[in-house]
Amino acid sequence: MLEIIIQGVLLSGLYALIAVGFTLIFSVGRVLNLAYGAYIMVAGYIYFYFSQLLGLPPIAGLLLAGILGACMGLLKYNLIVKPLKADHIAVEISTLILAVVLQSAVILCFGNSAKILLPIIPGVIHIGNATVTYNVLVATIASWLILIGLYLFIKRTHVGRAMMAVSMDTKGASISGVDIDKINMITWGISGFLGAIAGVFFASYTQLSPTMWVAPLIIAIAIVIVGGIGSIIGTLVVAHIIGFMEIISVALISPQLRGVFTMLLIILVLVIRPKGLFGREEL
Amino acid sequence: MALILIMEDLMKFNFIKVVATMASFMLAATASADIKVGFIGSLSSDTGLSTLRGAEIAIDELNASGGVLGHQIKLVTADTRQDVTEGVKAYEYLAETEEVDFIISGSIDDVSLGWLPRMQEYQIPTLDTWTSYIGIIDMLVEDYDSMKPYFMNIASDEALATLYIDFGKDVLVDQMGWKSTVILQEDTAFGGAIHGLISQAMAPVAGIEVVETIVYDVATVDFAPLYSRAVASGADFIYLISSVNSQVVSSQYVKLQVPLGMTGVNVAPMGQDYWADTGGMGGGMSTLTPIPAVGMKLDPASQAFVDTYQAKYTSRPIVPHFNGFNAYHGLKQAMAAAEEAGGFNNTTWVTAMEKQDLILELDGELWLRYGWWGNDEIEPRTGRKYPHNLRFDITEPFDDGAPSMVVIQWYEDGTNAVVYPDKYANGKFTLPSWVKK
Repeated sequence: MLEIIIQGVLLSGLYALIAVGFTLIFSVGRVLNLAYGAYIMVAGYIYFYFSQLLGLPPIAGLLLAGILGACMGLLKYNLIVKPLKADHIAVEISTLILAVVLQSAVILCFGNSAKILLPIIPGVIHIGNATVTYNVLVATIASWLILIGLYLFIKRTHVGRAMMAVSMDTKGASISGVDIDKINMITWGISGFLGAIAGVFFASYTQLSPTMWVAPLIIAIAIVIVGGIGSIIGTLVVAHIIGFMEIISVALISPQLRGVFTMLLIILVLVIRPKGLFGREEL
Repeated sequence: MALILIMEDLMKFNFIKVVATMASFMLAATASADIKVGFIGSLSSDTGLSTLRGAEIAIDELNASGGVLGHQIKLVTADTRQDVTEGVKAYEYLAETEEVDFIISGSIDDVSLGWLPRMQEYQIPTLDTWTSYIGIIDMLVEDYDSMKPYFMNIASDEALATLYIDFGKDVLVDQMGWKSTVILQEDTAFGGAIHGLISQAMAPVAGIEVVETIVYDVATVDFAPLYSRAVASGADFIYLISSVNSQVVSSQYVKLQVPLGMTGVNVAPMGQDYWADTGGMGGGMSTLTPIPAVGMKLDPASQAFVDTYQAKYTSRPIVPHFNGFNAYHGLKQAMAAAEEAGGFNNTTWVTAMEKQDLILELDGELWLRYGWWGNDEIEPRTGRKYPHNLRFDITEPFDDGAPSMVVIQWYEDGTNAVVYPDKYANGKFTLPSWVKK
């Protein structure tokens, strides 16, 4: 039981970190950013390149991945999302195509075979039968700090409140003098940064491969659907529900059913409570 | 244009020039009738590339020494993409479009089984260098006439199983003192087959209790809860069965410093690229592997092949997998058989191929052998017939052939060695530093 709790908490923290950037875009920009998983994948490779191939310190690799992730978000907003803003389906299709293009670009640069990312912070502690790597522990702590920081940023800063206003009512916010374009740019930048940080931790927890973007994208979509659109608190709670469900199914039922219960939960929530467990909330 | 030149010459009564011109065209036509060898396998996997490159080097060397039957050898390729349907299409392409004389295969078991009916139909001499499925050898036993163009120059499953048992008894039980295991098995046909060998052959004979089997999906990338479950099972060690994406399960064993010993059948460590693939997080891993294996000393002929390979290719696999050696030596044997038989007629060529026997020695001892079991010969330990299967030896002192497998181990400093059986061992089976004895 102890190992289920420990691994559930650790995995959930990582999932929350993965999902929050996706939630942000969905809430403020009303865009289902299907290239979000590709940010995660590309950021893993950026970290791999700087830290593992060039030998830069891990923290420098992490920051560079985050900065380049933010740049990717800004570029995507300006080059794809903004010109297609009126057509949500076109935006979603183009973000999906972008993900495939990024996958091909990564294959071209780094090859098709999977790579193992070294831990950002090496070492482990054993608690009962559970092994906790410092790497995942740091990812979980970072996740909580980032989520708390993001929450405070949105609640207490002028820009954050403007983001909240846009997420509630774009036209109203615009009439009130909020620069919608600027807020969207900031949101896409933050989302790209958060996705990149999550990507480095996710890749170091699992593996680095050109197809690894699909799994975190599904996790992010699941959390948004089940949690309800755009709530940071909802994201945190549902990340823990899904994380614990996965660990319990692996530990007590069958490892092959790991993702099945998540999918069933999505279907159940869509049928019973289409707005998600936490409904439609502002940030 | 050529016809115009001839007509012009005829009109000028230049008879000698006419004859010379026509002869040159005939010679050109004869020279272009190369021997065609078809490669069937995945062009994007290390195993597929190993077979392909082994064949390429053998062909380069044969062509440099005059070719076969006075013809140069031309290699054509057909990619199976490790998919059964694509494999069938690939075989049809080689047979119908390219009309090859001989096919060399680097296919995985399922793919070979897919194209095998096409081989029976087209009757093209075919050498498999990777597939070890015993069912194919059984088909030869039951229906020799339709299967006779098929040869498999890797020891088949039944022979491989004996090494599992011997290693289990000699090392895992007698040396390490382990009595129970938890099997961590991927959910594939390969995983199921190996699990059968472990639970029904190795465990009862070696005296090892299987306390639990944990089956995981090949898409799994987070093994932390699985390793926790394995530790909680109370077993003495983990027996890993992994062929797909196995660098992940291997590296997470190291990253998580799982406090149990682990061995098994793990495909990633069978290649020299394993250390780079795991970013150096692969120490302590051991696996049974067909030979010639990573870390194994090589006879001079096989070492020369590796030297040529590394001079010619800079991309992965940096050292050919075992099937690369099989392709290199096997293709040369197939062409020698063609020389002897006067071509690839599937009766005379088969008879000549059955007589091929290459013994490679190291320090005066038999080290590797590329020969075949007689069609009616019975292998004494398993009591089976192995027609057209590589001649292996599964009983020490391995003086009639090489063993079907060896066990290799990667150490924490990135080196590797063969640890079993003793004749081939150049290292010791050891536990990783974080596992208490």
